[in-house]
Amino acid sequence: MTGRARTTARGRARRREQEEQEAPGVPRAPESAASAAEPAQWQWTPRPLREEGPVVRPRQPRGAEGTAQSRGVREPGLEAGLQTLSLQERRIGGVFQDLVVNTRRDMMHVKNSKTGSEGEVVRLIANHFRVISHHQRSAFKYNVDYKPDVEAGNLRQILLNQHIRKFGECHIFDGNSLLLPRPLRERKVEWVSTTEDKKIVKIVVEFSKELAPTSPDCLRFYNILFRKAFKELNLKQIGRHYYTEKIPLTLERRGTSLEIWRGYVTSILQYENGITLCADVNHKLLRIETVYDFISKIQAEAQRGNPQVEVANKLIGSIVLTKYNNRTYRVDGVDWNLNPRHTFNKSDGTKITYIDYYKQQHKEIITVMRQPLLVSQGRWKKGQTGPQRQPILLIPQLCYMTGLTDEIRKDYTSMKDLATETKLSPEKRHNSLKGLRKSIEEEKAQALLQPWNFKFDSNLLSLHGRVLRNANIFQGRRMVRANANGEWAREVREVPLLSPVPLHSWLLLYNNECFREAMILKDYLYHVTAPMGITMRPAHMIEVAGHADSYTNILRKYTRSALQMVICILPDDDKYRYDHIKKYLCTTFPIPSQCVVKKTIEKVQAKTIVTKIAQQMNCKMGGALWKVETNVQRTMFIGIDCFHDIVNRQKSIAGFVASTNAELTKWYSQCVIQATGEELVNELHTCLKAALDVWCENESSMPRSIIVYRDGVGDGQLQALLDQEAKQMSTYLKTISPNNFALAFIVVKKRINTRFFLKCGSRFENPRPGTVIDVELTRNEWYDFFVVSQHVKEGTVTPTHYNVIYDTIGLSPDTVQRLTYCLCHMYYNLPGTIRVPAPCHYAHKLAYLVGQSIHEKPNRSLSTLLFYL
Amino acid sequence: MEENNLQCNSVVDGNFEEVPRETVIKFKPPLYRQRYQFVKNLVEQHEPKKVADLGCGDTSLLRLLKVNPCIEFLVGVDINEDKLRWRGDTLAPLMGDYLKPRDLNLTITLYHGSVVERDSRLLGFDLITCIELIEHLDSGDLARFPEVVFGYLSPSMIVISTPNSEFNPLFPSVTLRDSDHKFEWTRMEFQTWALYVANRYDYSVEFTGVGEPPAGAENVGYCTQIGIFRKNGGKAMESCVSEQHDQHVYKAVFTTSYPSLQQERFFKLVLVNEVSQQVESLRVSHLPRQKKQDGEWDDTPKDSQASSPCFGPVFTEVEKAKIENSPKPFCVGDKFFVPLQRLLAYPKLNRLCANEETMRSGIADSIPLSSDGSAVVADLRDYSDEQF
Repeated sequence: MTGRARTTARGRARRREQEEQEAPGVPRAPESAASAAEPAQWQWTPRPLREEGPVVRPRQPRGAEGTAQSRGVREPGLEAGLQTLSLQERRIGGVFQDLVVNTRRDMMHVKNSKTGSEGEVVRLIANHFRVISHHQRSAFKYNVDYKPDVEAGNLRQILLNQHIRKFGECHIFDGNSLLLPRPLRERKVEWVSTTEDKKIVKIVVEFSKELAPTSPDCLRFYNILFRKAFKELNLKQIGRHYYTEKIPLTLERRGTSLEIWRGYVTSILQYENGITLCADVNHKLLRIETVYDFISKIQAEAQRGNPQVEVANKLIGSIVLTKYNNRTYRVDGVDWNLNPRHTFNKSDGTKITYIDYYKQQHKEIITVMRQPLLVSQGRWKKGQTGPQRQPILLIPQLCYMTGLTDEIRKDYTSMKDLATETKLSPEKRHNSLKGLRKSIEEEKAQALLQPWNFKFDSNLLSLHGRVLRNANIFQGRRMVRANANGEWAREVREVPLLSPVPLHSWLLLYNNECFREAMILKDYLYHVTAPMGITMRPAHMIEVAGHADSYTNILRKYTRSALQMVICILPDDDKYRYDHIKKYLCTTFPIPSQCVVKKTIEKVQAKTIVTKIAQQMNCKMGGALWKVETNVQRTMFIGIDCFHDIVNRQKSIAGFVASTNAELTKWYSQCVIQATGEELVNELHTCLKAALDVWCENESSMPRSIIVYRDGVGDGQLQALLDQEAKQMSTYLKTISPNNFALAFIVVKKRINTRFFLKCGSRFENPRPGTVIDVELTRNEWYDFFVVSQHVKEGTVTPTHYNVIYDTIGLSPDTVQRLTYCLCHMYYNLPGTIRVPAPCHYAHKLAYLVGQSIHEKPNRSLSTLLFYL
Repeated sequence: MEENNLQCNSVVDGNFEEVPRETVIKFKPPLYRQRYQFVKNLVEQHEPKKVADLGCGDTSLLRLLKVNPCIEFLVGVDINEDKLRWRGDTLAPLMGDYLKPRDLNLTITLYHGSVVERDSRLLGFDLITCIELIEHLDSGDLARFPEVVFGYLSPSMIVISTPNSEFNPLFPSVTLRDSDHKFEWTRMEFQTWALYVANRYDYSVEFTGVGEPPAGAENVGYCTQIGIFRKNGGKAMESCVSEQHDQHVYKAVFTTSYPSLQQERFFKLVLVNEVSQQVESLRVSHLPRQKKQDGEWDDTPKDSQASSPCFGPVFTEVEKAKIENSPKPFCVGDKFFVPLQRLLAYPKLNRLCANEETMRSGIADSIPLSSDGSAVVADLRDYSDEQF
């Protein structure tokens, strides 16, 4: 199962993306859905009479004529790393909150320089354009208040614009505050505007503060301005996003076709030496398949069992898009007792059938009467408990599926085609960005940018990087080093493992369809384990019926024996069966296990795969494949990552994995089950205590330094991480020994838009694994750096951003960069470098297994094994 | 038509006196909705291709009308440019418009300009609506209005709505319903004006309204009075349009065009999608049978029987007969063939393509065809079937 082993797709980010796409205020019943397309009631909150003057009452009879609110229409989410453009002007905060957190200030050892010197210097190009000029003096920020209050952003702008002569064309308005290049004459002014329906709104504009041209708040305004300019570019607009062109790929797989569009994502931010415009290419997926089509297909394919159950299994949890109002909903159920001929109560109390409703409101004709209705509980919010609200009923024929189909996701060729088109090579990406750069020069965009004196460099930012030496790897009696692609599989072929665990007592379960595969697997295992140094006794081979319970029922009989390992051969990749077995073997009957899908053994390269399986099994039982020379002593490395399943409203899981010996071959793993969507981890001190206890069993002395790599936090959490997680750990360490421990806390970010290209003559290539960047695109307030640690076969490599937010060890830039890259060599499922330090990826694997399959804490007896690999 | 009015502060002080809430007449649905609904119904009834809304304001009416499949050109004109600019975004096609393209092209344009100016881009329209517009015109503009809209633009149909001042006494302390209204007419005043204009520009006019008066006050008439003007002698001649001089005084603030089946790209996308869905459905229904007996294709298509009784499309007898009489899918080796003629028999595909040739050229780039091009070819067995 190498495919699964290498998965890096994080449940959280992907699902979160979709969740965010949902429009705010999803209606309860279809009638309110109509309000999206029609003028909504003008919203105002009655306020007590104050000195401002008479309370404005809506006038009759025109009082009901409201100005339509434009509830942001948003796009459905994309899966598998295809992200939607994320230039959203109304979402304040996020990264801008992090920018003001100055973590470097408190670290004296990097006060003067955070730049390392090791490695060979290379010339790189980044996907940033330097802003060569912009408004140099302070800008003036004014708070804008509406009386009565106005909610709709568009209306706020319209009302304000009625006074444009008083503040001028050159302004940026974010809905709440106004940024002007020059101050107004008075600190506080009141203007009166009239709405569409002649209601009077008083606008109070009050001076708030002067903003330095490079302050994060000012940059936030610049991003709004740039987005406005973006609108003027010659791009295809769909709702709120902008796309250049369809790319010539239509995927067709089992009756579903997909189209892919290309767009841009940009941001203007302050870095080490000034402001830059970061631009990246992204893609959007168009899937033309209604839920009705989807159900038809499942019905046709379902040959045994109940098709309705099958439909529910495949449909529940998916996000669907309704064409008529462009909203997305999560499907929570399918009601087969209803059909479009049924009626519901409209807001005025009259009954109407779904058919008539959609025909009247949206001109949508429902042609199929024999279809069930979909049930959605509406938008889910963090912290919300239980669905108290009226469910929303949707018509399958009018809902579109979003994201990739399972068929396409499983289909190697389609995914490969998709990858070729969406994973742009550095060369193609570079050209595409050049194109964007050119279009910024268009007159329409310039009209907006020029008043602020915005000018961009016509070339991409050029900077220096350093390529670190690959780490020394010890396996058996050999010392090897990764090649230029960060791989060393060839170098260690036939070399014994570092610490093989003999396989004495193990079970091999298979169902009758898989007997042949079971025999092949067994034979291959004998064959491949010998050179690895693993001694193997014959397996107990047991045939089971094949359904989920048949595996666990057999296992019950073996609970007393000292089993080391259970291998299950599964006839297919049915998730229920897999989850059931894993759950049983991780909680009730804790034994490392290996599930292998029949098809895997049938492949031509089966023998290579079995080699990997054998290695994986060895690690799961506590063995080690290799070790890496770190040159540090008594240092514990910890990785933390989170798994969120917001779509299925499951509890969030935090994985905590810590090294428990000096060689970094033994690991302690624990997970913390938290409230849904919770990003910060609460029980870190208990995890840390347990990890230190295990360390003491392995080593003679306690570790002196602890280095934490924290993955899986979103933008805007930096201060919270510092205040909560880093503090929990440092406080705990102080309680056990006030002076003996030093702690470093490093935030790892994989989802960034910055890319680096290596210039080779006139061509652009990916930087080699081990490339470190700690100049230009880092930030003055942070002790941060980028590392490109992995090699990608196609597309552009994504660098990983590391931010040392707390460090009492006094790690020098060279040390922390080298250690970080070293740790990327430590992931036992791959004889090569990976994208993040191994403990982070172990923590991810743990959280993913628990969040996806087990849903409860694994048995403690497994905590010293990498059972989740 | 809602012009900016910055001096209305004083009006508020004067007009927003203590109005006892309970005496206020409320319309359900709100009056503005009733007016829009009225236009919507008219559009459904007459199916105009080109529609313009003068004084479109926040473009609510345009958004309501854009879903009508018959409309191909939709234009909004208003004097408030800012509002147009801001509302423009909400008229742009959404994701769903790409997923299910319209049958006909649709272009929406918003112009900034005054209704008493002539712009040749508004010539040749089927319907022009002026909803609550004329009462905002001062006497000079009102005098020029008929000449421009009726005389120059001369669309096949014009709808004009305006308040009926006879209704006003039912509202507490209201003289004019809006501070920007230059006048409000009685039914007699409006009808006199309308008949004069109709007569002068060779239109016939019919009066109606929305907003029923409350019981006991039926004699005051509708709250909003509406005149529907129809050009005598029917549609504006296309030829006279082209003879006119191009006169572009309005400023186009926003324009967008919708994907439609008239555009080759979207036609192909939809067709390929439908064909592959149908082929897949036939393939799957062919499969288990094939497994069991490895024999010839059975006459009855499985899709109707296999699915559970409460699900799926219902074909009429005619459609059923048409499908059954069309050439059947067949297998050669492990290849599965569906004749294009068969596909054409399904109503959904028949709606898209009139004949085999259209279908062939539409799908040829994307879907494998048999060597003579008469059938779609697919692999009968798909590796993922093995899971079942």
